[in-house]
Amino acid sequence: MNGPAKPVGPDGASLILSSGARLRRKLAAWTGQGMLFLVTCVAALAVLFIFYFIARDAVPFFTARGFREFFTETSWYPSRVPGQFGAGAIFVGSALVTAGAVLLAVPLGVLAAVSLSDVLPFGVRQVVKPVIEILAAIPSVAYGFFALVVFAPLLQDAGSRVLTMAWWVCAGPALLLAVLVLGDLAAGWMGIASGRRALRWTVTALLGAGAALVLLAGARFLHGLSIATGTNALNVSVILGIMALPTVVSVSEDALQAAGRELREGSYALGATRAETVVRTVFPAASSGILAAAMLGIMRALGETMVVWMASGNAAQIPRPIYNVLMPVRTLTATIAGDMGEADHVTGSERYHVLFAMGLCLLAFCFASNLVAEWVVARQRRKLGGE
Amino acid sequence: MRLATRKLMDRAFTAVGLAAIAFMALALLAILVPIFSRGVGAYVFRGTVEHRRQMLDLFERGDPGAVAAEVAEVQAARQPVFAALRAYRAEQAAAIDPAIEAAARLADREDLLGRRIQRAVDRLRAMEDFEQRIELLGRIEHMMREQGGPEARADVDLILRVTTELEEQAEQYRDLVQRLRSLLGPLPGDEERILPRFRYGQARWDRALVKQHDVLYVESWDYSDPSGMGRQVFTPRRALFEDTALVEIFDHVEHRLEAMLNPRWTFYGRFLTDSSVDAHFFGGIGPEALGTFYLALGAMLFAVPLGIIAAIYFAEYAKPGRVVSLLRSCVSTLAGVPSIVFGLFGLSFFLITIRVSPGKSVLAGALTLGLLVLPTVIRASEEAILAVPRAYKEASMAMGASRWRTVWTVILPAALPGILTGVVISMGRAAGETAPIIFTAAVSVGHGLRIWEVFTHPTPALSWGIYNLATEHEAVDEIRHVQFGMVTTLVAIVLLLNLAAIALRARVSKKLRG
Repeated sequence: MNGPAKPVGPDGASLILSSGARLRRKLAAWTGQGMLFLVTCVAALAVLFIFYFIARDAVPFFTARGFREFFTETSWYPSRVPGQFGAGAIFVGSALVTAGAVLLAVPLGVLAAVSLSDVLPFGVRQVVKPVIEILAAIPSVAYGFFALVVFAPLLQDAGSRVLTMAWWVCAGPALLLAVLVLGDLAAGWMGIASGRRALRWTVTALLGAGAALVLLAGARFLHGLSIATGTNALNVSVILGIMALPTVVSVSEDALQAAGRELREGSYALGATRAETVVRTVFPAASSGILAAAMLGIMRALGETMVVWMASGNAAQIPRPIYNVLMPVRTLTATIAGDMGEADHVTGSERYHVLFAMGLCLLAFCFASNLVAEWVVARQRRKLGGE
Repeated sequence: MRLATRKLMDRAFTAVGLAAIAFMALALLAILVPIFSRGVGAYVFRGTVEHRRQMLDLFERGDPGAVAAEVAEVQAARQPVFAALRAYRAEQAAAIDPAIEAAARLADREDLLGRRIQRAVDRLRAMEDFEQRIELLGRIEHMMREQGGPEARADVDLILRVTTELEEQAEQYRDLVQRLRSLLGPLPGDEERILPRFRYGQARWDRALVKQHDVLYVESWDYSDPSGMGRQVFTPRRALFEDTALVEIFDHVEHRLEAMLNPRWTFYGRFLTDSSVDAHFFGGIGPEALGTFYLALGAMLFAVPLGIIAAIYFAEYAKPGRVVSLLRSCVSTLAGVPSIVFGLFGLSFFLITIRVSPGKSVLAGALTLGLLVLPTVIRASEEAILAVPRAYKEASMAMGASRWRTVWTVILPAALPGILTGVVISMGRAAGETAPIIFTAAVSVGHGLRIWEVFTHPTPALSWGIYNLATEHEAVDEIRHVQFGMVTTLVAIVLLLNLAAIALRARVSKKLRG
């Protein structure tokens, strides 16, 4: 008797591979996979390359001049002989502009993400998503051009009016809400029974008078401002904030979505309103993701070049007082972009290496915040997955 | 807390969230509307006869006969201006006569000085040039004031008065003529200039209106308020030339400008492909657009194969472990590197260390940009591969196909639209980036490169051109339309790529849902 028939293909050849063919196939698979791995390594290790080559050109500066002058002093005269390389003011400028952008982008971005994940119906969301994508897609030089050619003249000519209007629009409703809520809370603390309407309204009205004073004082102050130049830290902060918004929105929306339905339903079942659910339950659960969103927003604002180069005024000075966003500033990225043109011809000079030192600082900061962001996201995933 | 307050807070919370979304939408509008509305003006505008002359002279476009006829027509309309200028010059020449007569009276003495003055007066009478006569009169006046004695005083003062007055008027006249030249182009009798900006008048009607205002009004600054900034004040220039032949010019320029320039709605589609003429005073943005195309395409040629291979590895082959997670965090770090640092790296590595080209080149820029978009390509491709239903892969494996064959013939084709989405978005990003190409590829002025020149030559690019024209050009205000045209073109390219990606993705998700 024959053994069990071997499976045969339509052309009569055996479908079971000979051992030699199997070995060949295995070897081919191995080498193929090895090649894939190698190419992937090239792609991934490019970042180490970047680190090495930036550091290689930054080190000569630090060995020649040390760290103290670069980080703590504020006289930036790289073209003098001997050059002065105090980048303190430039660091402050970068920090100021980034802080302004983050103050705008993070609250707005997180609130927009809440709207997207918890408030808006699906259909509207499909319309809003492309808006965010387009906002993210507009090239930075177009933002810079807008800041320089449209926004800066507006700030310079009608800045105080624009700021006053913004103050009315933002602070008016905010203060009104605060008055109503605080009035209710204050009445509660004072032990006024909820039946005594007149007394409650008196408390609220008193608070309202205070708020109106604040509102008017703020408007008066803003109206009296004179803005010497439209290319200043405020201009750049606003534009950078808008540029960082898409990043913040999409990352924090992912985090809010990941917090899960059960959590929300539990909160609603206990009688919480939507606001209470989001603030007290969803935010704590998504806090690390929101932190990551803020970090990425910071990186986006700090690493942006064209907007700050075109519209920040490029004055290497520390604003007086330090929070005065109406003064022109200068940032690390703009300094690198602007000074390299003059340093190019003298490759190898301190003037050239100091720019790489700045690049190294940027790179190190972004590397660190990326690690932190990644770490918090991973931790959140573990936490939510583990429960 | 009362229930009403809690409800109020809830509503307010919702409202603030919606306001944040509205803010984003408004910000998008506030940025795009001014850019597009003014950028369209680079393509569609009211072109004057000067525009058509230029097109004919510089690009050999248009009908020579029609343009010649049109030029003749506007020249006829300009005649009153030229005539008034001639009449004014004649008036001025005649106004010198009293001074010359005074000089002749001064020469009427019997000493050496008298003879010298007489010679000067003879030369004066033979002279044609207005400015040389004024200068010579000034010398005579100076000589006689020192040596002429008290009896010459009256005539010397007369000469001084006449020459000073005429000099002042000549100054104002030169200013006016300068502005007329910039409005209408060279006036009769002007010498030939080489730069096109001096050979033509205003090609665009909107610019012509600005120049018309310059002709009609004198700008000055009022610093009378010591606490505030200076205020711009405009006074009619006409007042300077009251009672002279020039007065007529102002009415003519104010009311007959259309006849002198003959504006017509023009669609200048070749703006996108024409090379720039005279540092972007005229012409289009062809070299920039071509440079951006080369750079974006080159970046994709470099990033797409590398990115897809890495994505296949991550999605299909990588086993979770320390090495793979290290590689993954390297990729996400690469995504967070600031763009200007990519520029530094491109300079230090591609140009100085391995010298891919003798100087800045499209190749170096494309490599740098490719590295910049690599993480985006990897991430998008990986997501697209992971989105392919498992059943496809399992079916292929069940038929006995090897893993590699499965990837190559089943998974990649299914994931292709998704990968393409990521590639198209990355291409938009590469086209718009400026910072990485500043040190590696971009120049301010250049011609459109031929394809083999990309390995050795730097190129102008839209993104760099926008920066350069908006901040470093010698006449930033004169070429606003070019700047806006460039921004609009770049933003339109990027948005079209993104819209294509969005449409593509919508189709893919519909297909995958079945």
